[in-house]
Amino acid sequence: MKRQAGPYIESHESFDVDRLAAASRLPHAVCERILAVVQSSGLTGERRLDLVRELVAHFEDGLAAGRSAAELLESFGDSEVAGRLVAHATHPPASPGHKVEQLWTRGDPLVFRLWRNLSYAVRRLMQSPAFTATAVLSLALGIGANTAVFSIVDAVLLERPPLKDPARLVDVYRATANFPYGVFSYPDFDDLVAGTSDVFEGIASSQLSMLQVERDGAIDMQPAELVTGNYFSLIGVSARFGRTFLPEDDVAPGAHPVAVLGHSYWQRAFGGSMDVVGSQIRLTGRLYTIVGVAPEDYAGKFRGIVPAFFLPRMMVNEVQSGESDELEQRGSHSVFVRARLKPGATLEQARVAVSAVAARLKATYPDSWSTGDDMVLVPAEDVIVYPPFDRFVRAAALLLSVVVGLVLLMACANLAGFLLAKATDRRKEIAVRLALGATRKTLVGQLLTETILLGILGGAAGVVLGVSLLRLLLAAELPLPVPIDLDLGLNTTVLLYSVLVSLAAGILFGLAPALQATRPDVAATLRDETAGAGHAGRQRMRNSLVIVQVAMSFMLLVGAGLFLRSFLATQAADPGFGRDPAALLTMAVPANRYSPEEGRVFVRGLFERFGQIPGVEAVGLTSNIHLNTLNSQSIRVNVDGVEPPPDRPGHDIDRAEVDAGFFDASGIRILRGRNFSDIDREDAPRVAIVSEAMARRFWPGQEAVGRTLHHQPDGVDMTVIGVASDAKVNSLGEAPVSFVYLPYSQAYTSFMTVIARTSLSPEWTATQLLAAVRELDPDAWVWEAKTMARHLGIVLLPARLSALLLSVFAVLALTLAAVGLYGIVSYSVSQRTHEMGIRMSLGADAGAVMRMLAGSGLRLVAVGGLIGLALALLLTRALNHMLFGVGAFDLLTFVAVPVLLGGVALLASYVPARRASRIDPVRALRSE
Amino acid sequence: MRIERELMRGAGPVAVLQLLEQREMYGYELVEALSRRTEGVLAMGQSTLYPLLYNLESKGLVRTKWREAASGRYRKYYALTRKGIAQLHSYRKQWRGLVGAMQGIGLMESDTRGS
Repeated sequence: MKRQAGPYIESHESFDVDRLAAASRLPHAVCERILAVVQSSGLTGERRLDLVRELVAHFEDGLAAGRSAAELLESFGDSEVAGRLVAHATHPPASPGHKVEQLWTRGDPLVFRLWRNLSYAVRRLMQSPAFTATAVLSLALGIGANTAVFSIVDAVLLERPPLKDPARLVDVYRATANFPYGVFSYPDFDDLVAGTSDVFEGIASSQLSMLQVERDGAIDMQPAELVTGNYFSLIGVSARFGRTFLPEDDVAPGAHPVAVLGHSYWQRAFGGSMDVVGSQIRLTGRLYTIVGVAPEDYAGKFRGIVPAFFLPRMMVNEVQSGESDELEQRGSHSVFVRARLKPGATLEQARVAVSAVAARLKATYPDSWSTGDDMVLVPAEDVIVYPPFDRFVRAAALLLSVVVGLVLLMACANLAGFLLAKATDRRKEIAVRLALGATRKTLVGQLLTETILLGILGGAAGVVLGVSLLRLLLAAELPLPVPIDLDLGLNTTVLLYSVLVSLAAGILFGLAPALQATRPDVAATLRDETAGAGHAGRQRMRNSLVIVQVAMSFMLLVGAGLFLRSFLATQAADPGFGRDPAALLTMAVPANRYSPEEGRVFVRGLFERFGQIPGVEAVGLTSNIHLNTLNSQSIRVNVDGVEPPPDRPGHDIDRAEVDAGFFDASGIRILRGRNFSDIDREDAPRVAIVSEAMARRFWPGQEAVGRTLHHQPDGVDMTVIGVASDAKVNSLGEAPVSFVYLPYSQAYTSFMTVIARTSLSPEWTATQLLAAVRELDPDAWVWEAKTMARHLGIVLLPARLSALLLSVFAVLALTLAAVGLYGIVSYSVSQRTHEMGIRMSLGADAGAVMRMLAGSGLRLVAVGGLIGLALALLLTRALNHMLFGVGAFDLLTFVAVPVLLGGVALLASYVPARRASRIDPVRALRSE
Repeated sequence: MRIERELMRGAGPVAVLQLLEQREMYGYELVEALSRRTEGVLAMGQSTLYPLLYNLESKGLVRTKWREAASGRYRKYYALTRKGIAQLHSYRKQWRGLVGAMQGIGLMESDTRGS
């Protein structure tokens, strides 16, 4: 019988099985195999036709020789591997780009090899776009998040200012019974200097203050650091240009109007002009001569609060609003102290020396130094911002780092999972190509190129993501109490590190198994037609990766859930004031121009104007607005029948001077007794209003109104005339706090926050308050005009940020875990298609098959979930102090997280399992 | 019998060149010859054989021609090129050298084939 296969199959690019079967009279299955090879070879035109013809001839010869179609297919081997190898073998002369390649690589064999590897890698990655996209996305998320967060952590924690010999610098704090990191008054500081000359080579002070800067007719407020003349030489910082301060700049009060500019302010306000040295600038109503500019890498003592100016400390009374002499007042504590140990002097000797000074101060000034007080030393290198804050800064930085570290780990695990799945595929191909004479070196080169290409793509996408994340963070106008200015560049070290970690993971999990698989026996691998069968080790590894991912997602989700709940609780918490829309204006009546009497007149005039602003329903003032993070005021009183704490001459109670309008404007109610009024004049008997918590504490079960507070140390008696509803004073989480309100009419304050409750827009009202002040006295000191909502936002900020960040990362982790799970389940499905076919042809129904497949995925999820639960229980205990209004073991969170995770896992397993269950059993049996 | 990869490497192309030196052959013929005449030692799946042939072709060691056989079927025949013959001679010399060296150290008897 004469059959001519070749000529029947002519010039068509796209064959279909039926046509090929009709033309060649080969069995359907054989034609399918032939077309599969041709398809994956990627050949076109004449070469494609040629391949079809040859394969048809091959099978016809086989059939003619008496072999069965099944036998022939069995010995033929995997169609995809064959196609790829054909493509590889025929590529060089077939490639239309061959000449271009040669031109491009200029015949250099190394460059040529690189180019070949690269184009091979690109082709391979493009063959499975879904795999490539998922891998790149996983990497980008991990690398981007890591880079952004570590850049922040680096700017906050790791970057050190260029201090000379920092190991010998120490910070000195004043420790009281309640607070170990208090600051000093100037007289205390002078005594400290005098008493420690044996152990300290030098000792410098610094103090933060806000300045009113007048330039080109405009006024704005800028932070400044007031420092001693030896401050710069002590820490070893020299001027960028011009000079820093000298001891002679800081000798007599008010006599040294010189200023050093902070670097970033110099850039911002003066455009980095060198002419600025020698020029004059008006600061808080006085002309100063600019003598120099601080270097770029020194942004003041307080990280994050970047001073625009450094001034000599002898100018303090010129810039502070207080009516008292700061340099002489032992009761005014605002001075930070940093000292340098003498060569040879130890920290221990210094501790003894400062304690001796503290002992002398306690003996001499019992009013301001209680018996339990002391001084403590903290090595300057251990201080980030200020010891009481550092605990939170460190905790937050650590938490963030751990979280993004986990995300990177998950991204690596995902990549590893994918590459492991592909390794089986690859193993065969590598074995075949080794048999064809390819050297191991070439193969390593090609696989490495592919992995590195993935890493580069992921890294590039990660950079884009990281930069956008940082931008987003910087652009977010956070309601912070002071202007925060951090140098947030994208950290290249971190970027490189993240990319390398991911690459290492890729090589470890992708390349190593593939190569290892080629070692033992090439012939056996070549004959082994069932890819991936019996490789229990890799299977176990992939399974553990899923378990790890699920466990980590579980932990992150629990963390996010807790912070979310904490945030909601914070938001729902009632601060006890400010429930209605209001505008706030923090200002001071310039004490150098207004006596207390003149000040009161000025304020009265001001309030008349405030009252005329449209929409304003109530106006009041307070010297110490609740929930502010900047200042706290207290009063020491004695109450008949209630003993003060041991070692204390009286009870220290938070206080504020307020006017009668304050209660209405702030929404704090007078529960009993009366409000302040016109009869509470300066010459009238002293009166006070106490918070309900205070009334309960000092007069439990009795009426507080009419009782007496004995003011310490001057012994003036004050009558309680009213009890006010409780409001949060220092934090939203606190229990109701004792608080004393004193009448502004009897206790003058030049520093105040005005509260204007309004029925119109609070933002607009705030600008109107500011305009009214400026109109009455353009030189009045104004710190801030803002809304009540923004004021309360400061308190909510930590909770809001943690909830937001953790939620973002948890969703990221959940997505990564779901993708990973989906990948693993669908891979195992593809590996077990043959088995499925057998089961179904033996009578198993689609549902049973699906349950079996999905079940194996869900078992992994269950194991991972249990491990995650154990870890979460362990780790959430560490979060306890960062949470508000929710326990670390929050039932809702611990129920919701498994449900969510389970749901996602179910979906990720169900989709591929369902697809597998719909497969035609005959086709499944035929597949290999 | 299983052959270690290191020994197996490069044997495939040499075997194919050797078979083609005797006469031109088509794909299925080569498959059969490799399997039968090497007692299965060099039998390889066709998913490997065809790419190997294409590789040899692209290196210029073999050339191909579609011809009608006596049976009337069209087949693609493979034959050595001049370059292929030279390459085979070079391979043969190397293999002989290798086998001689192995005999020299007593790995195999000089008058029998190693098995």
